[in-house]
Amino acid sequence: MKSESRLIDLAIRYGFLVLLAGLVVLFSVVAPGFAGAYSAVFIFQSVAITGILALGVTCTLVVGGFDLSIGSVATSSLMLSAYAMVVLEMSAVTAVILCLVMGAVVGLVNGILIVRFKVPDLLATLGMMFLLIGLQRIPTEGRSIATGMTLPGGGTAEGTFSPGFLQLGRHRFDLFIENLLPAPVVVFLVVALAIWVFLELTKHGRLMYAIGSNERAAGLAGANVNRYKIAAYMISGVTASIGGILLAARLGRGDIASGNNLLLDSVAAALIGFAVLGAAKPNAFGTAIGALFVGVLLQGLTMMNAPYYTQDFVKGAVLVIALMFTFALSERKKSGGH
Amino acid sequence: MTLSRRALLALTTGAIFAGGAASAQDMPAPFDNPDDVEIALVRYLSTGDFFQAYLGGVEAQAEALGVNLRVLDSRQDAALQSDMVDQAIALGVDGIIIQHGLTESMQAAAQRAVDAGIPVVAFDVDVENEAIPQIEQSDYMLGSLALEQAIADNGDAFRAAYVYVPGIAPLDRRDVAWQDVREANPGIEEVAQFGTLDNPIANSVANQARSVLQANPDITVVFAPYDEFAKGVKIAVDESGMSDQIDIYSADVSTADISAMREPGSAWVATVATNPAVVGEVSVRTLAMMLAGEEPGESVVVPPTLITQDFLNENDISNMDELAAMMPQFAHSDVSVPDWMPLPPRN
Repeated sequence: MKSESRLIDLAIRYGFLVLLAGLVVLFSVVAPGFAGAYSAVFIFQSVAITGILALGVTCTLVVGGFDLSIGSVATSSLMLSAYAMVVLEMSAVTAVILCLVMGAVVGLVNGILIVRFKVPDLLATLGMMFLLIGLQRIPTEGRSIATGMTLPGGGTAEGTFSPGFLQLGRHRFDLFIENLLPAPVVVFLVVALAIWVFLELTKHGRLMYAIGSNERAAGLAGANVNRYKIAAYMISGVTASIGGILLAARLGRGDIASGNNLLLDSVAAALIGFAVLGAAKPNAFGTAIGALFVGVLLQGLTMMNAPYYTQDFVKGAVLVIALMFTFALSERKKSGGH
Repeated sequence: MTLSRRALLALTTGAIFAGGAASAQDMPAPFDNPDDVEIALVRYLSTGDFFQAYLGGVEAQAEALGVNLRVLDSRQDAALQSDMVDQAIALGVDGIIIQHGLTESMQAAAQRAVDAGIPVVAFDVDVENEAIPQIEQSDYMLGSLALEQAIADNGDAFRAAYVYVPGIAPLDRRDVAWQDVREANPGIEEVAQFGTLDNPIANSVANQARSVLQANPDITVVFAPYDEFAKGVKIAVDESGMSDQIDIYSADVSTADISAMREPGSAWVATVATNPAVVGEVSVRTLAMMLAGEEPGESVVVPPTLITQDFLNENDISNMDELAAMMPQFAHSDVSVPDWMPLPPRN
């Protein structure tokens, strides 16, 4: 009896990681070319941008909030960086700083709307999402940005994406094999590590978890609830703008896009993360694994020539199973307390 | 006061005419009094370079005619688009252009407009109505011209990857070309098919294409009949260092596409496109012919043009304006041009 329940505990704790390993083995056998360093790298690359966004959304989930605007913050930062370099002919450094500031400001406004004006988080960030989708199109009258484009006021845009900026999305670091590790993957890993350290190992991170589980208690215990909440949205905004910068560097142009798919994919990754290691709460490690899990599945299926509509189905299935893990677990914890 | 306003009106009207080739007196009714003519453009799709350029063409031709243009934009809301046709009828416009949309939702609305005696033309949406001419950019020809070039470059036997998402009307029509070409050339082998419309499309397609190239390293041709697809494939080809081995053939063109095609060593060797601005002009001209009581025919096809990387490089073309200048057949179309028709200024 007791060994059985321990087995279930083990399954809940390590089930997802075992499933991930199993998938990798399965695809290595069935899909030609799946096993190998290059595949591993582009799976990481395919999830790097959504992963970075997912880490931001994790921070807002930790304080019991939610950020629907991350997808549009990312595409706004994509457009802003392109606009800064191609139309305003600014340097790469200025463009990156502008984007990060934009992300922080959007996060700040989100936070203030939620904390000071008491707008529910979903509604405040939904409003911000629409605002940004529209705003990013105003300067170019809805056109994508590329060198040589005709400007609304007549004349052509003469600036270019600086090579240094493009390297942010395209440079490859040597790791055992030459030119292996793409820069966005490195950024993803660094952001993941930073957010993990912040949430798990610092006082601030633990206070944010406390706010998420019981805001009033945390407040009575002396935590500055409002300030931490605003900070969470600012982290979310900045990480989303980092994602947008990497996207711009990979595409090499300012593509108009709503970013809704980015939003949905990254929220899915963060929610799948709840189930990893049986955490049953938002956590940075789980989010990174969740993003990777979706990436492995999608890239493996693509290699096996699975049609595109299976991809959404698979994403949905993974999410549902992960949520099952999470909620079954929290139920067990509750009944175990009796 | 009234007098001065009328004088002002005459002045502005005169200014508009100065741009056009013909003056109002030479044009048939109702264009002898173009200020009283109002046409409506009812749009389903509006976001993106193609649709922006299309609108530009519609505006330019409307201005050349001197007519008033009212733009109703449903932003991909099928029900709203149908309501907007009714709104246009209620406003008493003289003609309606339906731009994209769904057959199911637009058919009845288009019929109501016809019943109200309003001439209607439809661009890229089949409203199943004999009284309504179809403006088409011939997606089939877009596909087949690109594939002819692929065969000219690579012979009639190669291993190809194909990017396709079913259920999108223009892509479905381009798909017919691909199926026909494969049937006629059994040496062409489709080793992989992929595609997605997840936003940003180029990024999502790049991720897929990476996997496909890894799984099938012997691919030499990628047929990506939509420029966002081609952009994504090019990113993946560059990232996997296979630019020398792979040729990408696509459809559509934009300034950004031109710079991608002209990057040193770019795998994107050819695209086939119709100028969306020209399609916009043709839409208005066709409607104007109907207003003047002429018969434009049941289907008005704007033929596409093949644009190769070599051509772009030889003529040092870096944006759409330069492309139009070097390629007159791309810049203008003689479709729907009766003698009296004033054309937008051409440079």
